[in-house]
Amino acid sequence: MHELGVLLEVVKQVETIALENEVNQIETLVLQVGELCSMVPKYLTKLYPAAVEGTVLADSKLEIEIIPGNGRCKQCGQVYNLIDNKGACPECKVMDFEMLSGKEFFIKEIVACE
Amino acid sequence: MDKFKVIEIKQSVFEDNDADANRLREELKQENTYLLNLMSSPGSGKTTTLTKTINELKDEFRIGVMEADIDSDVDAQTISSTGAKVIQLHTGGMCHLDADMTRQGIKELGTENVDLVILENVGNLVCPAEFDTGSTKNAMILSVPEGDDKPLKYPLMFSICDVLLINKIDVLEYFDFNIDLCTQRAKKLNPNIKVIPISARTGEGISEWTDWLRNQVKEGVK
Repeated sequence: MHELGVLLEVVKQVETIALENEVNQIETLVLQVGELCSMVPKYLTKLYPAAVEGTVLADSKLEIEIIPGNGRCKQCGQVYNLIDNKGACPECKVMDFEMLSGKEFFIKEIVACE
Repeated sequence: MDKFKVIEIKQSVFEDNDADANRLREELKQENTYLLNLMSSPGSGKTTTLTKTINELKDEFRIGVMEADIDSDVDAQTISSTGAKVIQLHTGGMCHLDADMTRQGIKELGTENVDLVILENVGNLVCPAEFDTGSTKNAMILSVPEGDDKPLKYPLMFSICDVLLINKIDVLEYFDFNIDLCTQRAKKLNPNIKVIPISARTGEGISEWTDWLRNQVKEGVK
């Protein structure tokens, strides 16, 4: 359960961005979370109020966009979801892929109160 | 008359720390200090392995150790009995160490006094893997009782490490731990990972490990 530590890092970065943009209050924070980035969205949501207390993000909403963990099979070129297929290509049944997406952990945008 | 303003950012959360870690790595190189980040889960024998390692290498290098713990300094006390310079870093509840915390620790040790710094990271296979500390190389310990399935469960840790020490091989016969299978699983994630089976208790395999580290430090320092 390392989501809290990571959220504190997010808060730190958002505070810098808020300062640069002269924003005092934030309404919504949008994060993009890859399925394979080892962050559990449920925990992020749960810990969010604790992480943002007393910061520019206090009372803001957290929105999470999930990015699928997809790979392309190096044998047949098929693109498939790595989690649903446990890593193995549904066509060739081989685990030999190039990672396309799913490791992302991005601050996508913030909606600031004017 | 918009009440809200959307600020598009699209910034990787780990980017800040990654940039800082790269700066620290460069600084250490300039100052001829080699930083090894040692990671594992709690109870894998990190401190015992470290004690053996220091005893093997202390005549050749000036060694400093940074003990990262959420609290307490029991490990620091054990390590200081080897004569190495030890400092305790408290993460204050955080489950990992980032590049900035590492830099502060290094400053306290003083690079002019050490050739090799070993960072004993917080005992945990998840969070420390997410944060680059700025180390020259990463090593991890997996002990036999933990099971050979750990590369499957904590893939990121295995993919960022340069060396995997499989510890407690003296108790192999009591556990269903298959070294070959574990190696295979780790190499699938990270073809360049060097796997060294050791027993910190009996000393088996330790020289292979210290040989690797010695060469690394010599290459890095010279």
